[in-house]
Amino acid sequence: MKKALVILVFITMAVSVFAMGDKEGTAAAGSAPATIKIGATWPLGDITGKQGSMAAQQAVDEINAAGGINGHKLELIVIDDELKADKGAAAIEKLVTVDQVDVIIGGMASGVALGQIPAMKKYGKVVVATGAASYKVEEALGADANWYFHLHPWDYNQGQSYADGWAAIQAKYPTIKVGRIFLAYEEGAFGKASFDSSKVLFGNAYTFDGAPFKSAAFGGGDYAAVLDAAKQYKPDLFLWAGYDADALPMLEQAKAMKFNPGIYLGAPPGWPADFGKSPLANNVMLYGMWAPAVNDISPASKKFYTGFVAKYGVEPATYFAPLSYSAVYIVADAIKRAGTTETAALIKALEATSYASPLGQTITFSPANIIKHQGIRNQKILQWQNGRQEVIWPFESATSKPVYPFPAW
Amino acid sequence: MKLKGSYLAAAAATAVVVAFPAFLGAYPLAVARSIMTYMALAISWDMLLRSGQISFGIAGLFGLGSYASALAVLRGGMDPFTSILFASAFAAVMSMLLGLAILRLRAMYFSITTLALMEIFKIVIHNLHDFSGGPEGVVLPEPIFGGSAPALFWLCMAGLFMTIGVSWYFEKSKMHLALTAIRNDETSARSSGVDIFKYLLIAFVITSTLQGMMGAIQVQSYGFTTPDTAFDANFTLLPLAMALLGGIHSTIGPMAGAVLLGVASEWLKLKIPYGHLIVYGFIIILVILFMPQGLVGLARKTIRNGRTGVRHE
Repeated sequence: MKKALVILVFITMAVSVFAMGDKEGTAAAGSAPATIKIGATWPLGDITGKQGSMAAQQAVDEINAAGGINGHKLELIVIDDELKADKGAAAIEKLVTVDQVDVIIGGMASGVALGQIPAMKKYGKVVVATGAASYKVEEALGADANWYFHLHPWDYNQGQSYADGWAAIQAKYPTIKVGRIFLAYEEGAFGKASFDSSKVLFGNAYTFDGAPFKSAAFGGGDYAAVLDAAKQYKPDLFLWAGYDADALPMLEQAKAMKFNPGIYLGAPPGWPADFGKSPLANNVMLYGMWAPAVNDISPASKKFYTGFVAKYGVEPATYFAPLSYSAVYIVADAIKRAGTTETAALIKALEATSYASPLGQTITFSPANIIKHQGIRNQKILQWQNGRQEVIWPFESATSKPVYPFPAW
Repeated sequence: MKLKGSYLAAAAATAVVVAFPAFLGAYPLAVARSIMTYMALAISWDMLLRSGQISFGIAGLFGLGSYASALAVLRGGMDPFTSILFASAFAAVMSMLLGLAILRLRAMYFSITTLALMEIFKIVIHNLHDFSGGPEGVVLPEPIFGGSAPALFWLCMAGLFMTIGVSWYFEKSKMHLALTAIRNDETSARSSGVDIFKYLLIAFVITSTLQGMMGAIQVQSYGFTTPDTAFDANFTLLPLAMALLGGIHSTIGPMAGAVLLGVASEWLKLKIPYGHLIVYGFIIILVILFMPQGLVGLARKTIRNGRTGVRHE
């Protein structure tokens, strides 16, 4: 009897907590829609999600300070997806059914997005996604997901932009020769997808090979095997696709092994905050969408950067910050033009987006391989020079010339 | 009379849970599904623990079930519900074959081997790229039952109830005596005629089957899987923490731990968006340090002390 009573107590407790959530929803539904609610999910324990959500809040505050949208204030409701598919899916359910948001933004990991898609499809709310690069996400969405606006480039977009970038750099700087490329990739979905798409794109024009490694982010951190394979291969361009936790240890081990490729390039979603302060970082190249150096060429970037530093006292360290900031402005601008948050009108307004973003490029939407609304299609090629990330390519956004070759240790 | 009351209360609790979709929205149902999944894993882990064997292979068998179900649908054309049964049977067969090899091991040797198996399963799935989708995983045409929140809830609940039922059977049948005897003193148990290997194999196969089944339910509910998702170490670590928090060697302990940690995790996340995981981890450490017998053990001790106090008066 006691055991059964314990069961009843636990169930009552759990139901009470859940029911509280439902009551919140009822209250929200009963009140006048004085605010426009933007729901968002990011991994808040990761720098991409943390700074992405901070930048989105910055944009909301700026818009509200300027009078809101058509007289309505904006409200941002952020839920941590914890980099877990089930948590991300539950977050979408809460945002839609309890918080009753008008639009959903955010996202970083493809694995979480895949878990969220069934709930997104069920409700058909407008989504402006800041993450999810895997083509599997696009496959799961299908061609009918006209409510889905994808800002981040797909993996195949990124691969194509790198191929274009290196061709352009070699044409402009004849001293830079890239014949052999080696890709060290983390063994998970992100790294393998990078390898597969790069193999297709680089395979014809370059001699291309690669090997996997276990990322320090998932308990790895010993790169001796993959660096040795790369050294034997003698690449002109050594590229690694992993996470921020791999950046410094891989560089230190490369130095210890006296591995000196002509170009040493990393492609993590975010870099360690103090990476640029390490003397080893100088002249390391990277793929990314944004760096503080973009402030030199873009007033929108300067406005974002200045506001972020003033509000939070730290520098944005990942392109997810300006990307998420852009997502809020794109949504706000579309609602303003549509005059409503009604889905069909909002989709139409979003399709007409032309936003001069802090990423140093104007964002518009056009069809991708499957979905109808793809935003950004390229990443930039950058280089750490004297502690600062400089844009090398595209040339119209360039803030410096490349330093080549990567100096010997 | 005591037994009858207990059954009545359990039936009432079951009825309340079954009726959740009638008065809870999609979000609480999604959270409940997550809690029920971890609860089933915690109970199944505890069932083997009652023999003294500590398995770290929960995530491995969960992932194995996930992939067996997903690939049965995608490559075998099986319908989603049948694929869950298939995945459970697959986990049973695999665990029986593995059990024949590893159940001769004891203590940390068994634990480390189960941990290694988890990694091996993951590596195999990683490398069977054309068949398993490799690191990018596989996407199903759609979640089971069209993604209906109540139907998914009841499916997960059915998996949980099956696990609870088997666990209660373990508690009430001679399995309990056999596993407890093995845990307390293997030599005495053997000299008393307990077929140690047989009982360990039965417990290992049954708990693995339940873990594989929950993995299959999970993949069919979300409509996709990747090696990183299916073999996530959280599917090993969280059930352990839940069972330890609630109290081991019982059915009710892991249930209590799963509800408390599951609800606490979600509540903390909403109240402390930036830092809830630190608080969550801190709670687990404190509970394990100061309540090693778990909540159920603490409750039992409190009730016992209360009774003793009454008698003294």
